[in-house]
Amino acid sequence: MAHMDAKAADEGSGGSQKLLEEVKALVETLNKVVACYHQLSSCVGGSTDSVQLRHELRQTRERAQQLALDSQRLLTARLRDRSLAPPTRLEAELLWVSFSSSLELFHADMCKVFSVGQNFPLSSKTGVLVQTGMQGETARVTARALSLTEPDLNVASASVDRLEQGELEAEKDRVDQMIEDMEKRVNVLRWTVEAQGPQYAEPVGTSSSLALLSMMQAEPEQHRCKRGQMFVAALVASLAAVALFCLSVYCI
Amino acid sequence: MTIRNVRDHGQRYRPRMACLKKMEALVVEMQDPKSGVKSQTQRLVITTIPHAITGEDIVAWVANRFNIDAREAQSIGTLMVAFGYVYPLQDHKRLIIKADTSLYRFQTPYFWPAQQWPAEDTDYAIYLAKRNIRKKGVLELHEQEHYNNLHKWMNHKWDFIVMQAKEQYRAGKERKKPDRVVFDCQERAYWVVHRPPPGTISAIDYGLDRLTDPSADEVKKKKTMDYYRRIVIFTQQCIMRSRVKSSVSLGAIVKYITTCKNHDPFLATCLPSNPWLTDDTTYWELNMPNVEIPTKMRVERWTFGFRELLSDPRGRADFRLFLKKEFSGENLAFWETCEDLKWGAAATMKEKAQQIYKTFLAPGAPRWINIDGKTMDITVKGLVHPHRYVLDAAQTHIYMLMKKDSFGRYMKSTVFKETQKKAISPEEHRFSDAQLEQNAKKRKPNLSPIVLRQWEEEEKARLAASGPMDITQLCKFTAPVPHLAVYTGICEAQLSHGRERLPPSPSFPALPNSAACPSPISVAIDSTPASERKFEGQGGSAAAQFPSIAEVPLEPRVSASARAPDDPQPASQKSRVALSLGRFLRRGCGNASVLASLSPKCHSAMGGRVQPLSREPISQPQPKRIANFFQIKVDIPPECRIYPIDSEDEENECTSGVRGTVKEIICPWESITKQDQAG
Repeated sequence: MAHMDAKAADEGSGGSQKLLEEVKALVETLNKVVACYHQLSSCVGGSTDSVQLRHELRQTRERAQQLALDSQRLLTARLRDRSLAPPTRLEAELLWVSFSSSLELFHADMCKVFSVGQNFPLSSKTGVLVQTGMQGETARVTARALSLTEPDLNVASASVDRLEQGELEAEKDRVDQMIEDMEKRVNVLRWTVEAQGPQYAEPVGTSSSLALLSMMQAEPEQHRCKRGQMFVAALVASLAAVALFCLSVYCI
Repeated sequence: MTIRNVRDHGQRYRPRMACLKKMEALVVEMQDPKSGVKSQTQRLVITTIPHAITGEDIVAWVANRFNIDAREAQSIGTLMVAFGYVYPLQDHKRLIIKADTSLYRFQTPYFWPAQQWPAEDTDYAIYLAKRNIRKKGVLELHEQEHYNNLHKWMNHKWDFIVMQAKEQYRAGKERKKPDRVVFDCQERAYWVVHRPPPGTISAIDYGLDRLTDPSADEVKKKKTMDYYRRIVIFTQQCIMRSRVKSSVSLGAIVKYITTCKNHDPFLATCLPSNPWLTDDTTYWELNMPNVEIPTKMRVERWTFGFRELLSDPRGRADFRLFLKKEFSGENLAFWETCEDLKWGAAATMKEKAQQIYKTFLAPGAPRWINIDGKTMDITVKGLVHPHRYVLDAAQTHIYMLMKKDSFGRYMKSTVFKETQKKAISPEEHRFSDAQLEQNAKKRKPNLSPIVLRQWEEEEKARLAASGPMDITQLCKFTAPVPHLAVYTGICEAQLSHGRERLPPSPSFPALPNSAACPSPISVAIDSTPASERKFEGQGGSAAAQFPSIAEVPLEPRVSASARAPDDPQPASQKSRVALSLGRFLRRGCGNASVLASLSPKCHSAMGGRVQPLSREPISQPQPKRIANFFQIKVDIPPECRIYPIDSEDEENECTSGVRGTVKEIICPWESITKQDQAG
C-alpha cells in the first residue's frame, strides 16, 4: 500500500497514510467509547441509576460526539479525495463502515437512554427504580471511556437532571443528522466492502464471570464435583503415600 | 447501515404492542418497596446478589393485585417472563414462571422490549462474538448457525463487530464481579427472549410487519386540503362497505365447527388411524380421490353441503353419475369447464371461452344450459372481450341451480343411497408402542406428483370413455327439455387406449324455437360430421383430444398409424349416421324407435358417447385450427345468432360447409378451407 503511494509521486502520500492511521486510531477510540456507553446505558432505570450515572453518561456522550465529529471530518476528506489509490481507498472504506456502524450503535443507545430516562425521571419524588440487582459503581467504565487513569469522582448536582434530558434529545438529533449527512456526502458501496478480520475473535481467556454463570446453573452438581475431586485427590495422595512407604521399605 | 428514508411501499414497521406499556406499568408497581414484591438475596459461591424474587411471590402478588385466582396469576406471570420483563435465574431457557421457590429477577429497563426498536442483528452478532471471546465454542448449535449466517450477510461490518465485541468485553471487565454476573445474565435473558432457540414459542412473535409506523407522530402531519379529502373518501368507503354482524359470522363459525368437529382427524378419532400420529397410511389410501368405495365419514361429509360434495373428487364423480341418470349432466359439465377457464393457463383462455360458449351457451349449442336472459346478456356482452371471469355470472347461476335443485334430489336418489350403503367404515387401529415404532421405521415417501398427475389424467380419459350411453336411447323430443345438449355425444379420444375418437351420437338441439327455425337443425344434421367436431370442445384441452383424421400432427399422444386405418370406416359410418339423422329429423319430431335404432348402430359402430366434460389438461389445442374448425357452424337464422365473435365468418362457412362434408373424409378445417376457396 505504502510503496504504491510512494511510487505515485504524490506529495502528501506519506501524509495520507499517516492521516489514515490517525483516523483509524480515532475510530478505534470511538468504538471504545461507544462500548463504554453501552455498558453504562444498561444501568439506566435500574437500581444503580443515579444522578452520578447520568452525569457519567453525559460525559461519555460528549467525548463520543467529539470523536465522531473529528473522524467524520477526516474520513469524509479522505474519501472524497479521488486520487486515492485503491488499497488505501479500501482501507478507508472499511474504516468508514466501522465508523458509521459505531455511530448507529451510539445513536440507538442514546435513543434508548432518552426514552428510559423519560420513564424513570430521577427528579421526581415518588419515582422508583427497577431492582435489577446491580450494586456497584460505574466510575471505572467512565474512566475507561474518557481515557483517564483515575476515575473522576466529582459528583454532579441534582439539578442537572432535567437539563440533561433536553440536552440528550438535542444531541440525539444531532447525531441522527450526522449519520444522514455522512450517507449523502460519501458514497461507499457497502456490498463491496469486505471484512479483513477473522470471523471469530480470539478468546481473551476464561473469565471468572462465565464460571460464575455456569456455576449458577449447576450449583448442586458443582458441590458434588468438588467433593468427588477431593475424594479422588485424597485417594491419589494416599496411594502415593503407600507407594512411597513400600519403596522406602524395599530400599531399606 | 440501516437504510432510511426509503419511500417505497414496503412493510417494515412492527405493529403496535399495547400490552408492553401495560406490562411495564405492572412491573414498576412491583418495585414499590412497601407494596411490591419482596426480594431476597441470591447466594452464589463467592458472592451474593440482591433483588432476587421467588416465583411464588410473584404469582401471589399478581393474584392479590388483580383479585384473580392463582392459575390466571400464573399465566400473567408467564407472560411477564415471556416478554422479558422478568427472567429466571435457574433454567434460563424456559421462559415460564414456576410458582415455587425458583428465583427470578427484574430485567433492566434498557433491555425491555420496545415496539419502536426491534432487537437488531448487529447487536446479536456482537453479543455472540462477545460470548465467543469469553470462551471459545460455548455457542449453541442454533447460535452457531445464526453467527455463520450473520457473518455472511453482514460481512462488511464484521471488523466492526469483532472490534466492538472486544471493546464491550473490556468495558464490562471494568465493573465489579457481581455486577458483571448480573449484566451477563441480563444480556443472556434478553437474547433468549428476542432470539429464541428453535422449537420454542416466542411471545414477541407478531406476524407480518406493517406499512405505517404506529409510533409515528400524527400530530406533526400537516393537515392540508388533500389530507382532509383523503380522510373523507376513506370514511365514505368505510360506510359503504358491507358489514356482517359478528353474531352472524360467529354463528357460521360455530355451525361449521359443530358439524365438522367429528371429521377432524386430530380432534376426533380418525378411522382407521391418523397417519400423522401412527405413521400408518391406510387412512390416506382409503380416501384417495379416485377410490372405488368411499368411507362412511367421507360420504357423511357430502351431506354437509353442496360445496363439500363438489370439492371432493369422489363426491363429484358420484354426483356426475347421478346427473347422467337424470340427463342434466351439462350443468356440472359447464361448471367444471368454467372452473377450468378460471384456473387454467392464460394463453388458451380466449379459445376456451369461445368453445364454452359454443358448446353450452349458444342457441343451438349441443349441451345447452338453462340460464336466464339477464345472465345470458351479461355473459354474451362479456365474451366480446373474454377474460378469466367472464363466465362467472353464468357459473354462479348454474351452481345455485344445481345446489337448490339437483343436490336435494341427489341426496334422496338411489345413486347416493347405494354409495352410502356400500361405504366402508374401517376398524380403528390399535397399535402397541412397539408397532408404532415399527411404523415409524417403515415410513416411506409419498407418491411422486408426476405419477399422481398421470393417474388423474388416465382417470379423466376413462371417464370420458365411459360416458352415459343410455341417454341416447331415450327420446327426449317428447319431453322437451332445454338441456338436451347432453345427448350430443362428444366422444373423446381414448388416448390411453389409442382408440379412434368416435363420432358422437347425433345432436338433437331441441330448442324451444326449433319449429321456428328448422333450418338450424337440418343444417346441423347435414353437417353433423362437422358439427360433431363442434361438440368436441369443452375447454380447449378437450378439443385437443379431437383426434380428427387429419389431426395427426396435433395429437402427440395418439399414434397416427393407429388411427389411419380406422379413418375411412368411421367417416362412412358418420355419413351414414348423418344422412339417416337428417332424414329423421326432417320428419320433425323424433321417433323413439328410429333414435333407438340409430343409436345402437352408432354405438356399436362407433361407440358414440356423450362427451362428459373431462378435460385433458396436458395437451393444449392449437388455437388457430380450433378457431377455424369452429367456424363450421350451423347456419342459424339471424335472429338466433348472437355469436359475439367471428360472426362474420359464420355466414361464409355455413352454406358451403353443408354440402361437401358429408361425403368426404372429414378434416373439418381443411374442408372448410376448401369450401372457402370454392365458395
